[in-house]
Amino acid sequence: MIRVDNLSVNYGAVRALREVGFEAPSGQITAVLGANGAGKTTLLRTISGLVKPRQGAIYIDEFDVVGIATENIARRGVGHVPEGRGVIEELTVEENLRLGALSAQVNLTDALNEEYERFQVLGERRKRHCSTLSGGERQMLAMARALIARPRVLLLDEPSLGLAPQVTAQLMRTIAQLCETENLTVLLVEQNAKSALRIAHRAVVLHLGSVVANGAAADVAADEDLRRYYLGVVTS
Amino acid sequence: MSVFLSSSFIHNIFGGLATGVIYSLVALSLVIIWQSTHVLNFAQGAMAMFATYIGMTEIDRGVGYWWCVIISVAVGMILGGMTERVLIRPLYGKPEINPIVVMVGFLGVLEALASAIWTSTTRNITEPFSQVYYQDHGHLIFLSAFVIFQMVLAIGIMLLVAALFRFTKLGLQLRASALAPEVSRLLGIRVGRMLTIGWMLSAGVGAIAAVIVASGNFGLFPTNMDGIFVAGFIAAAIGGLESPMGAVAGGLLIGLAEQFILAYWSPNVAPLGGIIILVVALMVRPQGLFTKRMSRRV
Amino acid sequence: MNWWRAFPRQETTNSRVVGVAILTLIALLVTIVLPPVANSELAGGAAIAIVVLGLSWLTGWSGQISLGNSGFMAVGAYAAGIWAHHHMTTPVIFTLALALVAGGLSGLVVAIPSTRLRGPYLAGMTLAFSAAVTPLAQNFTSVTGGEGGIFLNALVTPSWFAHFFHGQNASINANAQWTADLSVVVAGIMFFFMANLFHSRTGRAMRLVRDNDVAAELMGVNLSRTRTVAFVVSAAYAGVGGALYSLLQESVRPETFPLTLSITLLTLMVLGGMGTLSGAVIGGIIYSFSANLVAHVNSLTGVNPTSNLGANMQGIIFGVLLILAMLFASRGIVGLVTPLRSLWRVVMSRRRRLRDTLGTTQ
Repeated sequence: MIRVDNLSVNYGAVRALREVGFEAPSGQITAVLGANGAGKTTLLRTISGLVKPRQGAIYIDEFDVVGIATENIARRGVGHVPEGRGVIEELTVEENLRLGALSAQVNLTDALNEEYERFQVLGERRKRHCSTLSGGERQMLAMARALIARPRVLLLDEPSLGLAPQVTAQLMRTIAQLCETENLTVLLVEQNAKSALRIAHRAVVLHLGSVVANGAAADVAADEDLRRYYLGVVTS
Repeated sequence: MSVFLSSSFIHNIFGGLATGVIYSLVALSLVIIWQSTHVLNFAQGAMAMFATYIGMTEIDRGVGYWWCVIISVAVGMILGGMTERVLIRPLYGKPEINPIVVMVGFLGVLEALASAIWTSTTRNITEPFSQVYYQDHGHLIFLSAFVIFQMVLAIGIMLLVAALFRFTKLGLQLRASALAPEVSRLLGIRVGRMLTIGWMLSAGVGAIAAVIVASGNFGLFPTNMDGIFVAGFIAAAIGGLESPMGAVAGGLLIGLAEQFILAYWSPNVAPLGGIIILVVALMVRPQGLFTKRMSRRV
Repeated sequence: MNWWRAFPRQETTNSRVVGVAILTLIALLVTIVLPPVANSELAGGAAIAIVVLGLSWLTGWSGQISLGNSGFMAVGAYAAGIWAHHHMTTPVIFTLALALVAGGLSGLVVAIPSTRLRGPYLAGMTLAFSAAVTPLAQNFTSVTGGEGGIFLNALVTPSWFAHFFHGQNASINANAQWTADLSVVVAGIMFFFMANLFHSRTGRAMRLVRDNDVAAELMGVNLSRTRTVAFVVSAAYAGVGGALYSLLQESVRPETFPLTLSITLLTLMVLGGMGTLSGAVIGGIIYSFSANLVAHVNSLTGVNPTSNLGANMQGIIFGVLLILAMLFASRGIVGLVTPLRSLWRVVMSRRRRLRDTLGTTQ
């Protein structure tokens, strides 16, 4: 579970987040929606400790992680798939996965096999350099690399970016499945509100750094004004 | 065969490779630091020199040669780690000129300190193997037990470093931290520690090079690594500063080139050998210096 | 009203040029009262200030770094030395002009392959150059005099100048003051040109290249040409400074230009403040005092100046100062002025705001 409390972040004079507060329960997907520059990525980076907040608290399972180093937050069970996936291109698929497993207390061979089973395409390409992977395969690898450490919390930053619609749909199904089987707390940042809301249980809408809506995904999806003003979804 | 081995051409190849492996070691140590922290360590030679002096004082106290090597390497590694922590860490994110200037200052301090403590007269570490060249039916062969030792040790260290980076967990973390520090941190890798370890490794490799130099004819004096550092830098630059293999190849190339200029052209211009090679390399393939980093930050 | 407000600071070329002239005059007046030893230290400082100015222009204005300026100094010194050795009667100004050209040409040779390089590559390339110069000078004995070098006696005190001096040691006093005056005038001329160069088209283009080379290129600045010019000017200044330095020493020898000299130059530049005329002046002054400074430190710490440690004290102090300056005040002493001034401004505005708030609540 993640609870964000009164969180503010400044970039120099620019306020990136203003007194943001919400809760993301365990075993559920919480979508974080909003336009470009709404502060979605900043929110995830602050949770991971890459950005230091000006004020506020971030509780992960009742433990405030503000001020803790990024690598230690990761070791506490927070998996973060960053914007642009963060696959290390110069390494092979397997090396990327091994990196993910290094900091966790898992049996490497078992964990690798499990991920290859979950994402079969990765098993086929395990010795390949990541620069040869397609966008969808990279997204799979990035997720597998986060999951291999058995995280309790998964932060996903725009996983659908640059993917074809069918690939996106499949990805969303995978995320929903994962959340259920692994009892994960998923924070899903998306610009593609429509596909995110389809699988999310809850949704938080950010606008210029502030929370403008926070509730059940179905309610947010049903709110005509929200959709028109903040999510850019044209009513069909 | 024996006449072939004693021909002057073969002599020069042995001579060139013997110095070349030293340059390769220094170049390799520069590449390790460059990859992890994007700092060109101008004090690399001086740090190695300093570590070797400390190892040598232990020899004076009656310790054997191999202990001297081990002590020098250990001191080198400690010095490298401390340098990263104290002098380099505060400068991450500052203009790239700042760490250069700091390391140049450190070079000056180390050389001045060394001549203050141990004077600037040349010393030799008693070499473990004979420097006398082998003979074959009265023909001199440009190989001695020491030259063979020098090459075997240098190549052994290079293979060891390669294996460490390629096959171990530590090597994987070192590579990842260098390639993508932020992503590595998100995966729980202690990147700060990896940078320190990278500097320690590099300084250790540099110390081995300095010990070999100090054991040979060249000897040990406070500025003895200056020229060797320059050659090592050129070797690393030819290889693109990012490629360990390129650095090793560059080192051998410069060693050979110097030897052949010395033998067939004029000993007077030998100091220019490295620069000529660097200039030619730049003219032929300017982007070779930048290898993969073709795009510039705007 | 504060009285200094009556003199607004004008950052015009004219005011800088006038400043250079006034400073030169003051220095000339000072040489009259200084003892001979101090005068020769001042002369050395003036020569080094020229080199530091050239380096400061390169690093402070074009953002490039050079560890090769001791090499360029050597080139200028040998050009001047070899010429003056064979043509004793040449006016000093001509010899120095020759050093300027020789230094500039060597700068061009290094710059052509290096202008594509940035930061560490360039620094390494220039280091390789300066490391090669000394062995070359040692090897080509027939031209350079090898290890022993060339002995010079080019700075002869003119008789009209010597007339002013009487009594004991008249000729020593006259010679010390003459060489000091000459060095100050040469430095003044070099500073005058640099004051203009700072605000020339090239100077402005160079700042642009330093701050954002891509933007500069888009605005039509020829990158490699600008960088080459920066390099050549810097090397020419090093050539003049090196020649003057050797003329003062009355010899040109390889060991005058070790690698550590490049470190000293960097230290002086950083301590004085990069990219400013005043920074180079401060650097030169620090150099003039460095022997005294080191002696002072030795006596303070009780180190025997003839011991190993005492002899290497300067290297240790300069290296440590360089490191500390880069770690804590990367813009040097001159750079420190600005943060202090902005701190002052912050304090003043806080006070004003406090006063305003208090005023509204009362």
